[in-house]
Amino acid sequence: MHLHPLTAKKIQRFKSIKRGYWSGVILVLLMVLSCMAELIANSRALVVSYNNKLYFPTYGAFIPGNYFGLDYKYETNYRQLKHIFQQEQSGNWVLMPPIPYNPYESNTIAGQYPPHAPSWSQQHYLGTDAAGRDVAARIIYGFRLSMAFSMLLLIFNYAIGTTIGCLMGYRGGAFDIIFQRIIEIWSSVPTLYVIMIVASIMIPDFWVLIAILVFFEWIGITWYMRTSTYKEKSRTYTLAAKALGASDSRIILHHLLPNSISVLITFIPFSIASGITTLTALDYLGFGLPPPTPSWGELLRQGIGNLSYHWIAGSVVTAMVCILTMVTWVGEAVRESFDPKKFTYYE
Amino acid sequence: MTTYFIRRLLLTIPTFIGITLLVFVITRFVPGGPVERMVTQAQIANAEMGIEQIDGVGGSTLSEEQLAQLNAYYGFDKPVIISYFLWLKKVLTFDLGTSSRYNEPVWDIIVERFPVSIFYGLLTLVITYSVCIPLGILKAIKHSTPIDHFSSALVFLGYAIPNYVFGIILISLFASHWDIFPLGGFVSYEFDDLTFFEKVVDLLRHAVLPLLSYLIGSFAVMTMMMKNSLMDNLAADYVRTAMAKGLTFKDAILKHAIRNSLIPLATSFGHTISFVLTGSFLVETIFNIDGMGLLGYESLVERDYPVVLGILVISSGLFLLGNILSDLCVAIVDPRVQFN
Repeated sequence: MHLHPLTAKKIQRFKSIKRGYWSGVILVLLMVLSCMAELIANSRALVVSYNNKLYFPTYGAFIPGNYFGLDYKYETNYRQLKHIFQQEQSGNWVLMPPIPYNPYESNTIAGQYPPHAPSWSQQHYLGTDAAGRDVAARIIYGFRLSMAFSMLLLIFNYAIGTTIGCLMGYRGGAFDIIFQRIIEIWSSVPTLYVIMIVASIMIPDFWVLIAILVFFEWIGITWYMRTSTYKEKSRTYTLAAKALGASDSRIILHHLLPNSISVLITFIPFSIASGITTLTALDYLGFGLPPPTPSWGELLRQGIGNLSYHWIAGSVVTAMVCILTMVTWVGEAVRESFDPKKFTYYE
Repeated sequence: MTTYFIRRLLLTIPTFIGITLLVFVITRFVPGGPVERMVTQAQIANAEMGIEQIDGVGGSTLSEEQLAQLNAYYGFDKPVIISYFLWLKKVLTFDLGTSSRYNEPVWDIIVERFPVSIFYGLLTLVITYSVCIPLGILKAIKHSTPIDHFSSALVFLGYAIPNYVFGIILISLFASHWDIFPLGGFVSYEFDDLTFFEKVVDLLRHAVLPLLSYLIGSFAVMTMMMKNSLMDNLAADYVRTAMAKGLTFKDAILKHAIRNSLIPLATSFGHTISFVLTGSFLVETIFNIDGMGLLGYESLVERDYPVVLGILVISSGLFLLGNILSDLCVAIVDPRVQFN
């Protein structure tokens, strides 16, 4: 891939900021891993070896229990199957994921009421929540969900915000004035509250929630893009391009956008952090994704409701603090390398 | 300048109408509005009690008359614009309707919560400014020294953690685990029986944890804003001139640079004011503080729409006033500002 030397320099500078760079590496790794969450936390086995044939039940349709010689036709309980195979000692075996629970099933231990404390023997490494669902599994799936959520939110917000911002800066005139007023109204709306109001009226699913948030948050980037386009538009290179007969769309896409993009990039990590924070806050308040969706906010709510079961709040708070700190560190490093502020002073 | 502020004040009117109209229209047109919700609730209630539908006319178990009453109550029997302006007319006379939960005027309910929100808001404001300005100055002077790096790390950690998560950490550690501070609430139940001194102690003991959660987020933004703007000014020519004339570095900062670097902070002052009064839904919910945030949250959960809209009106009104206040602050700090 051919990179502009300036861009290469910026990336080099980002890599040299160790804290941000390694946070970025870890985050990307976690995101890739979370895409394979089914292989990490799942009630389905990774591999089943039955009568010398291998089965991989993780993805695809479920395999009924009578397939493996059990006496029921609903989905195989692989944890049980593993136990049975171990007792039979007939050469059949089951390999379970590291966390052998999916985020929706409630696993109640006989003679105890959930939430269950963390236990290695039960393989509930972070315990269970009040409904007996594995906390670790819910945190992993919740991470995947909130990451996907904030990424999508970011893409939509930036697509709309950049388009309108560029047009405002480039066109000016009535278009600019109308959208200035709209932005003023939108930015004076108490966003979280209005989102809560809308979410309380229509119980949102994943896409509806994204739509609601985009509707109120697209202005975040618009103003910066407007200013940036406006500034770049008056530079001589734009004038030159115009004199050469470049069309408006060419000027915007090939000249103005590449020169304004560094502003955009420095905002990305902070937007992701705010996406996660907002989704978690909405889930916490009960205006987010409907239950039983695995979400950090719902776990926080349970944690604060059952403070004596410290593993619930403890696990999810630790996860959130780690992820958000890393995202912020990446953001700090990106800002440092893409929009460096060099200070000189006299002493 | 006076004309500028009058114009600004007048310009808030269309913005205010815009915000309220936006929300008003949303609450009207989104499926599942208050009336529909009541209908379904009535259906569910009836289904639970096992009542058979006798009339068999439609799915609705509320009678036509009841429906019409409900619709009239929410103004759904008129076109949106008309019912909006009817509502707006009432708002302008501070008549925000009657709460369906408390059966009291919405305005009274909200005003009741003001002292709580003002208490937290003002304390947050004072502490933030009195810590962040000196810290920012220190960080700017000691740029790239261990003090700067260390405080940056702390401040950014505070920035990364949302205030509600920090609140949950504080409450689980200091209220649940160690039992140093109360679990929540604004004051204790037996507050009225305490002596004056005990009252103050009680109030402060309840305030420590929520205050910390309020502060954590604003610290980072303010401190870095102060630091960066002072750094910008330290690099300016006038500081060099001042030092060339023989002023010490300290004097150049204290007498020249600081005043100028307060301008960006002044811009954010107005927003802080509006935050002062509306507080935070999350922090108030976690600590069970009976302020405007908790009121807003509870009325949403209880579908008490008059209160919901009332809080929206007040918080957006405050926000708009805050904007004007910001401009005023900037004008005071920065005499170069021309308002044309």
